[in-house]
Amino acid sequence: MSSASVSLDSNRPRAAAPTTRKVRRRRQWWPYGYMAPVLIVLGVVFGYSFVEVVHYSFYAGSIGSLVWVGTANYRELATDPQFIHSMFNNFKLLFTVPIVTVLALAIALMINTAFRGVRQYRAILFLPYILPATAMGLSFSYLLQGNGVLDALLTKLHVGFLIHDWLGSPSWVMFSIGGVIVWQQLGFGVVVFSAALLAVPAETVEAARIDGANWWVVQRRILIPQIRRIIEFFVILQAIIVLSSVFTYVYVLTGGGPAYSSSVMEFYIYQNGFENGSIGIASAGAVVLLVIASVFIALYLWVRIRAAKDTR
Amino acid sequence: MQHVRNIARQLTLIILSVISLYPVWFMLSTALKTSQNYTLNPTGLPLHPTMGNFTAVFADWPVLTWMRNSLVATAVSVVISTVISIMAAFAIVFGRAKGRETLFRSNIALMAIPPVALLVPMYMLMVSAHLINQLPSVIIFYTGLLIPFSIFFFVNFFREIPEELVEAAYIDGAPHHRVLRSVILPISGASTVTLVIVNAIFVWNELLVALVFLQSNSSRTLMAGLALYQGRYVTNEPLLMAAAFLSILPLTVLYVFGQRFFVRGLTAGMGK
Amino acid sequence: MKSNYPSMRARWSRNRIITKVVSVLCVAAMGLGVAVIPTATQASASGKTNINYWFWGESDIPGMTKWMQQRITTYEKANPSVTITLVPQSNTTIISSFQLASQSKTGPDVDTQWATLPTLLPALQGEVTPISNYVSKSEMSHWLNTNENTIGNKVYAMPLYLIGVPLVWNKKLFVKAGLNPNVGPKTWAQFLADCAALKKHGITPLGMGNQDGYFGAWMFAIYEKQILNSINQLTQGVANVGSSQAKLLASLKTMYTMLSGLIKSGYVNSNVESLSLNQGWQLFPQSKAAMSFTTDGNVLAWAKAVGEKNVGVTRPPVWGTGKLASTYDTTQSSDEFLASWSTNKAAAAKFLTFLHTTANMVALNKETGAFPADNRFPAKDITDPLAKALDKLDTSGTSVWLENDIPPQIDSNADLPAGQLITSGSGSPAAAVALWKQQLQKWQLQQPTQFTLFKKWATGS
Repeated sequence: MSSASVSLDSNRPRAAAPTTRKVRRRRQWWPYGYMAPVLIVLGVVFGYSFVEVVHYSFYAGSIGSLVWVGTANYRELATDPQFIHSMFNNFKLLFTVPIVTVLALAIALMINTAFRGVRQYRAILFLPYILPATAMGLSFSYLLQGNGVLDALLTKLHVGFLIHDWLGSPSWVMFSIGGVIVWQQLGFGVVVFSAALLAVPAETVEAARIDGANWWVVQRRILIPQIRRIIEFFVILQAIIVLSSVFTYVYVLTGGGPAYSSSVMEFYIYQNGFENGSIGIASAGAVVLLVIASVFIALYLWVRIRAAKDTR
Repeated sequence: MQHVRNIARQLTLIILSVISLYPVWFMLSTALKTSQNYTLNPTGLPLHPTMGNFTAVFADWPVLTWMRNSLVATAVSVVISTVISIMAAFAIVFGRAKGRETLFRSNIALMAIPPVALLVPMYMLMVSAHLINQLPSVIIFYTGLLIPFSIFFFVNFFREIPEELVEAAYIDGAPHHRVLRSVILPISGASTVTLVIVNAIFVWNELLVALVFLQSNSSRTLMAGLALYQGRYVTNEPLLMAAAFLSILPLTVLYVFGQRFFVRGLTAGMGK
Repeated sequence: MKSNYPSMRARWSRNRIITKVVSVLCVAAMGLGVAVIPTATQASASGKTNINYWFWGESDIPGMTKWMQQRITTYEKANPSVTITLVPQSNTTIISSFQLASQSKTGPDVDTQWATLPTLLPALQGEVTPISNYVSKSEMSHWLNTNENTIGNKVYAMPLYLIGVPLVWNKKLFVKAGLNPNVGPKTWAQFLADCAALKKHGITPLGMGNQDGYFGAWMFAIYEKQILNSINQLTQGVANVGSSQAKLLASLKTMYTMLSGLIKSGYVNSNVESLSLNQGWQLFPQSKAAMSFTTDGNVLAWAKAVGEKNVGVTRPPVWGTGKLASTYDTTQSSDEFLASWSTNKAAAAKFLTFLHTTANMVALNKETGAFPADNRFPAKDITDPLAKALDKLDTSGTSVWLENDIPPQIDSNADLPAGQLITSGSGSPAAAVALWKQQLQKWQLQQPTQFTLFKKWATGS
């Protein structure tokens, strides 16, 4: 699943220790019946796919003409400049993570008091997060086009030296895609951090104020450390998103171009597997992506487990 | 000093709001212009707004079919995944069976799996099942992708329910399905709505799977149709923007009325 | 903050209402789904023949889709048991959509593809049924350029129109730059001189778009050809026969060096890389660029925007010295064929031949200015002087559109991005050639079956 799917819980004692339930004597059979439907669906969508994606990665050719090639696809990937470049682009997009985090945190701290319009501002900032990237990508493709709307605006502001072919220049295109990602994810961060800040006990802040701490010290010494866990979690979540859910931006904004310069792993898999019909190399790419993603997934599980332990 | 800070804050937030909303405004204002007006002044106000682009989209594009497909794919996959996830979460929290904790934990990992990694095998499966260009192909995939978060969400919610409530029902001799239906479900309404909204956003907005599995015009979802027609209509900006605006309209309207659910669902568990 | 919240009670009841509304919506949508899915499958069983037609042509000839839609309306009226669903394609989806469809053997009954390899390679893989199986020899004898899609005695696709790719120039802008408005550049030196003069007067000399890679592909089609002595030099090089590939790559480097020179001199619009070919072309009718390479159909459409007397056409200036340098670029461009998995081939072929009736061919020319690919079309009907000039170019001597002779995967993965390397300034001609080489190897490795079929075709005939 995408962005929407991950969250931190389990800082509830009961979640971490379900075995403390009272009536717990005999093993029951009915739960298996209740779990069966999801087990079947998960088995098909995830279980079957995990096995088969590895299996197909040892073949070349298309459906109907598959040829066993052993590990040739993996060796091909290691030397394929497009794949390596795609992987690096995913890593480049990781730079959006600190940007989104810092900006969102700054905004959340700024609106962490009651003032006029705070709810409206939060609602507006959150809106981009729910809008379909396909449609917004279309809008951005006209805004960011060389001599497009953004360039026209820069000319009007007399900062013509900033004008670029935002999507057509290989050195700028990843900045542009990253910018659109920041645009879409920022509101999510603001809302997450705002909610976390609201949960910080008012007494803690009060106590510090009485001790003579100024606004800045309160933010840095009290509030930010209090929501550190949430920040860590948000960072990992964003990292997973830019690694594995940015296809739509690339497909709609640039189609991977110019000359593969904005291709990402997802796009590479799509292009090779479906536009070229080379099932095998696409599967090998998917396996590599899974391995890279699993590093982040492990990090994410570790943070969650630690959070659960903290609260115990 | 306080005053200056307030003004600075308002100013910053106004600028941020403009940046957030501008791409949507650009979409709408372009959709209301004629092609010539757009070419002459892409950023100007639509001084003579026309609905012509919207009528053209409905007349020339199978946009109603795409909307219906999106709606069906969203509704069916969200309803199925919600129902079976509630059942599984109920079993995980209130049942006593080996493996339920494993199922819960593996769900947490599955939430972070990139869908593209499953795409090739699922495609091959759908080809052999003759489901390509049929909505059930994406419905099955989406249902699978929605389950991990749904289970996670409901398990966390059910664990908040006071045990006494459930135990009382069992002592009265109620069977499991009755406990689920008359004890758990009545208090899960708002949470379920929250989850349904989160999942619906995901399915409605999804592009990659729809693009690969639904290749015929009559089976496409709105996002896949929009992406396909992009190239064909790229020189008719107002028409394309009208179609794009139609695609964001349902979610935006829902958001304006049910903003709480969106925020709560999409940030579920992250803060508190 | 707190006072902004509605009271607990109101909140609770609103929750209930929203819950109810959402449940009702879900149930309604489910009901719709259940109601819709069976009808969708029933439609095919109800005895009505539904022909799914993936169509492309609008970027060659503006107005083409409208013409096609009108033919469909007429045909459906005369044949009430047939419905035809037209799905418009774009430059960016025409190849990939069919590649994707042929993997699952579902999708269109009739597809549009560019002529020769984009049609013949799928045909060699069994994805295309020869249209000559369904159409009489006497009918086909009227079609023009069927040789572009023939293997042995089988004709695989039907042509609809012929187009040439001339250089078009804006006479007004030429006057502004102090150039003779009535003479287009013939040699490369003249072309460069015209560009320099235009640029000096602040006019963009050449308006093109390469976001989708097609400006680069066109330069390949027009100018790589001019270095070659025969098409075999290309196909053998792609098939990696003997030392032919090294020679091909060397010639590509020369061509890309020339393209790089145009870009570096600023002779092409600066945003070429973020506009698609279709978008880049719009600079000409907007009088923002003085020249362009385009299709006959577009020339005629643009003449309406800038005034016919302001438009001049000529063959692309000669740059190369190969034997093919003297050929022109007329092709049927796209063609229409039957997908091998279609269950309605006979009905589809019948509709396709209907398009070739004289009345429809005349209408095609009248409504779009396109030149029908049928010898029953009375050429004397062309009276417009600009159209006459274009027709004269199209029918003068042999023609080659080189892009048709590379496998579609090489076109999408090597030809298009290699041109983008040059137009975006991010890669040298050597890098562009390295990309070709790498993609040729990758294709051979990843698509062994396709490669063998291609090699047989390239060396056998």
